[in-house]
Amino acid sequence: MDDFYIISIYAGVYVPLIFAVLLALIYPVAGGKAARVLGMTAASVSALASLAVWYGFLKLHSGSPNFAFTSDIADFLPALGVNGISVPFFALAGVVGFAAVYWACISDIKSVKAYMILLLFMQGGLMGVFASTNLLWIYMFHEFALVPTFVATCVWGGAGKRMAAMQMAVYLTLGALVSLVGIIALVVFSGSDGFGIGEIASALKSVELNASLQGWIFALLLFGLGTLVSLFPFYTWAPRGYSAAPTSFSMLHAGVLKKFGLYLLFQVCAPMLPAGLSEWVWCLAVLALFNVLYIGLVTMAQRDLKMMVSYSSVAHMGLCFLGLCSTSILGVGGALILMFGHGLSVALLFMLSNAVVNRTGQWDMRQMGGLYKKTPVLAAFFIAAIFASIGLPGFANFWGELSILVSLWNFSPAICALAALGLIISAIYGLRAVAWVFMGTPSEPLRRDFDSISDLSLRERFPAFVLIAALAFAGFFPWTIAEPVNANLSAQAVYNQSK
Amino acid sequence: MDVELYSILLLPLCSAAIIALFLRSSKWGGATVSVTSAGIALAMAVAAMLSDAKIEAFESRHVLFSLGDFSMNFGVLFDPAAMNMLFVVCFVGFLIHVFSVGYMDKDPCKGRFFAGMSFFMFSMTGLVLSSNLFMMFVFWELVGFSSYALIAHYADTEAARAASKKAFIVNRVGDVGFLLGIIFCQAKFGTTSFSELSQILSQNPSQASTLMGLLLLCGFLGKSAQFPLQVWLPDAMAGPTPVSALIHAATMVAAGVFMLVRLSAVGMLAPDVLDTVAILCALMAFFAGLWALGQNDIKKILAYSTLAHLGLMGVGVSLGYDLAMYHLTMHAFFKATLFLVAGSIIHACCHEQDIYKMGGLFRRMPLTSFVGLLASLSIIAIPYFSGYYSKEAILAASFGKAHITGAVFDQIVFWLVMGAALLTPIYMGRLFFNVFLGKPNSEKAANAKESGIFMILPLLVLGIYSLAGGWSFAYDIFWLDGKMDGLLPSAATQFVGNMLEVHMPALESVQGAGLLAKLALSLTVLGLLAAYFLYGRNRGYDTLQRNVPILYDALKQHGWFDSLYDWYVAKVQQRFAVLLATFADMFLIELLFVRGIGAFCAVIGYGIKGLHVCSANSQVRWFAAGALLLFLLFVAF
Amino acid sequence: MSDIINQFLAPALMLFITGFVGAMLKRNLISLFMCVELMLCGAMLALLSFASAYDDMRGGVFTFFILTIAAAEVAVGLAILTRLFSVAKSVSGNNLGNLRD
Repeated sequence: MDDFYIISIYAGVYVPLIFAVLLALIYPVAGGKAARVLGMTAASVSALASLAVWYGFLKLHSGSPNFAFTSDIADFLPALGVNGISVPFFALAGVVGFAAVYWACISDIKSVKAYMILLLFMQGGLMGVFASTNLLWIYMFHEFALVPTFVATCVWGGAGKRMAAMQMAVYLTLGALVSLVGIIALVVFSGSDGFGIGEIASALKSVELNASLQGWIFALLLFGLGTLVSLFPFYTWAPRGYSAAPTSFSMLHAGVLKKFGLYLLFQVCAPMLPAGLSEWVWCLAVLALFNVLYIGLVTMAQRDLKMMVSYSSVAHMGLCFLGLCSTSILGVGGALILMFGHGLSVALLFMLSNAVVNRTGQWDMRQMGGLYKKTPVLAAFFIAAIFASIGLPGFANFWGELSILVSLWNFSPAICALAALGLIISAIYGLRAVAWVFMGTPSEPLRRDFDSISDLSLRERFPAFVLIAALAFAGFFPWTIAEPVNANLSAQAVYNQSK
Repeated sequence: MDVELYSILLLPLCSAAIIALFLRSSKWGGATVSVTSAGIALAMAVAAMLSDAKIEAFESRHVLFSLGDFSMNFGVLFDPAAMNMLFVVCFVGFLIHVFSVGYMDKDPCKGRFFAGMSFFMFSMTGLVLSSNLFMMFVFWELVGFSSYALIAHYADTEAARAASKKAFIVNRVGDVGFLLGIIFCQAKFGTTSFSELSQILSQNPSQASTLMGLLLLCGFLGKSAQFPLQVWLPDAMAGPTPVSALIHAATMVAAGVFMLVRLSAVGMLAPDVLDTVAILCALMAFFAGLWALGQNDIKKILAYSTLAHLGLMGVGVSLGYDLAMYHLTMHAFFKATLFLVAGSIIHACCHEQDIYKMGGLFRRMPLTSFVGLLASLSIIAIPYFSGYYSKEAILAASFGKAHITGAVFDQIVFWLVMGAALLTPIYMGRLFFNVFLGKPNSEKAANAKESGIFMILPLLVLGIYSLAGGWSFAYDIFWLDGKMDGLLPSAATQFVGNMLEVHMPALESVQGAGLLAKLALSLTVLGLLAAYFLYGRNRGYDTLQRNVPILYDALKQHGWFDSLYDWYVAKVQQRFAVLLATFADMFLIELLFVRGIGAFCAVIGYGIKGLHVCSANSQVRWFAAGALLLFLLFVAF
Repeated sequence: MSDIINQFLAPALMLFITGFVGAMLKRNLISLFMCVELMLCGAMLALLSFASAYDDMRGGVFTFFILTIAAAEVAVGLAILTRLFSVAKSVSGNNLGNLRD
């Protein structure tokens, strides 16, 4: 029975990569339609495979803390497998990738073949990140997923694309480099044979790294990976990068790729470097609070729709870091649930912002208004996405935020109270955006072409519906994420059992 | 019992989903589904209360998810308090659904409205049936969302756009405190389930912490619109009148009171917390009554009246939670009636809402006006009307407490409550005399006709309850095998009734209680007379506005809270956010820090580039230098 | 033994220094090339003198390698210089700045 799921994992990771190569090979003769068909097929296969693997994991391996569905096909191929922490994100990558590729297929893009190749590389890379059991291959897949973003922003991006692409490229590569140094340090000092996560863990059982060494390695990993997740103060690449990047790429980047850093922290760094974590936990808590409060306030000052969504994604990552700070199963589990929900909601927000900007021809929210009359369905989806991201019960984000806040009280009631203020801030900017864009009466520049604005077409509704359905599913059945996560985290000594 | 309760809970949710997905543009489909689901929910609720089984508390629990030691439980607690509240919610909710069918007949977005109403019924039922604080918080947020969606119904108006946002955000501010209190409770007691808390606290009552109570109080302040978070309720009148009736008068704003009642019954509220509630709510009861005199819009007057009565309920919590529940139930009946009457009038007058442009409606809309009369007499607390019993109980309890303890604090609370009791007939009289009596003051009022059957029937039913609802609690009128008490199921009256049997004799035996009752009645009559002479006699304008405009404008400012908050948001908060966004973010971090590092690297790059002389000879020189360096290193090591 | 070495090493050293100084100072690229060849000559002479002094064949074999490579290198280098001259119209080493910013 396991075989089917092993094949699914391989299909999910490799089909996008293979199709990208295929598309590159037939580049001269392929048309835009071929590109779209190949892209959609790859994305659908990935999505279905990832959902099948999730289902299989829940059914067969839900209580085990180890990697499941592992296989040893060849030495040079990366070892794939999923465990309780990675399987929800594997599914997240599949679903968001499907929506992103679908959106790219129905959008109007010049030289869509090259776009689709880059997008498929990114998708394959993302699937590989969450399905690898080998640290080096996780890093490689991450680079696979990261580099297309720079290229795509530079070529197909919006305003300020060159500066944004340049800044993202240098900043993120620097962050990845710092974390690579940390990874190598971890592997070397643990004396393990290779980069496999299981190998490192078992090597660490015999070698006891002293606290200061753990502190250094953890610091390298924290700040390197933190840059990738836009931890304060290494976040300035995110707003400019996301608003300049083409929609499908910002969906995948903000929705899935950003979670890579946190995922690695939860999966590898915190369990293996507990002393390092406890040394840096207060510094991290303060920085994360800056994310929540300071960047929340900055988001409130934004008038540009895409900038607002980008800044809000940076702000929500602060809460996830606070979940790590609480060093409890509840906090980390909550952070994982929040990451899952946030990935879906921010991807949906980018997609819908793109739809709004296409229809109104501008980004300034103050210049819009009264859109709900012409686009009620778009308004409904947008409001649902905003409420999901500000943590309304019924969507996955709420359970994550709640768990994190509950776990923070034992860590420090003051920090819990400050983090809870983030709830108010996110409500303010979220609802303000809805009020400016959809309610009221249309502004002067909009009124001229108002009648030509059309609602979301049936094709456009489909990816939005998929993302909302996923959000609602995780909102109504949070145990599908919590159960595997719980089994995995309970086996780690670093997360004490307190709530 | 589990199945029935979950059906009552989930049926409106399914109705909302069906309407939102399929019936948005249908003419009457949405209304049909919504009203049917509300009706079935009511029938099932009443059936559950009339069931043969001896009505005891029923509890069930399912685990939604668990992480480590913490588990999120979803469960229902069907005890007498829940039965009382559930009856109010389902009954008033169903009648308002029927009313909306008539009121929204010309509205183009009926589907959206009824989906929102059904979703609200789901959220409110969930809140009532919640067995623990976390679940209550979940539905608390959902109720806030329904309120947002329904206030925003007329989304193209500036008023609705601002009011919906304000309602949600102010509620969120209260919710943050509420959530922190719940988390504190979880951390301290290890559970937030009401039944378990009751056990823990009955063994050791001193464990109730004041800080926890104050944090939990924030939720009440937000949801039930008390100081300092009351600013959203008057603005929420921008929504359609059935929404104001259901959500902002009868049920949602009462959810805060319900939460306090639950916590008080469990023993979570320390005496200091109860004192805080008492003073804040007494102040609100008094001042809201004053501010009602500065409004000309009929819905705004009723909104401030709701604020005042919520304040009374809060005072009731501090005096004995059964009194609060008593007034909650009575208030739901007569306030819903008043709002529906207002709705009927507004509909008939083509959305005219200024009371000085109405008048003479008694002749043109006799049924509506008669029901309006019943409800007005009830809110003023004329004996034998339902409002009388609950308000007298609170008044007597406040007097009793002040008399027994003799503390200045309790006396202040008592006199504030008396002030509120005096103000009610004044502003209600002002409303009644100008709307129903006299001559019509505008074209629209002159052309008003009685409303259709969908609006009249619920009005009549609620009017009867405004009159006779209180009899179920004050007297024992058992029939149908003891399962019905007057107009309510006995299961619903049990919570308040049982405690009243103990409470009332104690209140009546306080020295001077009889005198108090007479004094209150005379104040009521005095207030009515004052209203008649000040505002009645068909003047067509507001006496205060014309003769003492300073006072009128001061009252209209309703305590300058809105001005203060608007100033804070625009001048302090937004400016700070913009300062952070421009100075700290763009300048400090981006320019100095990030681009600064880039500039620094560029300078080094320029320096190194200067070393590159473009001649072949220099290459040889560099080569020689490098070879020399390596040789020296080799020799040195 | 030391005789041979002294007799041949001094000229080898002088060849090498001449070539080196010339490479550092000469402007004309062809002259620079010739100086590089001079350096190679000096190195070859030194190798051969040591080979003969210690009766070791390896010095000679290495010299053959250097000769071959020098020949190939001269061919390629002169071809590049010729092409360069037809493009840049000069063989002065000071003006070859096209790759510079």
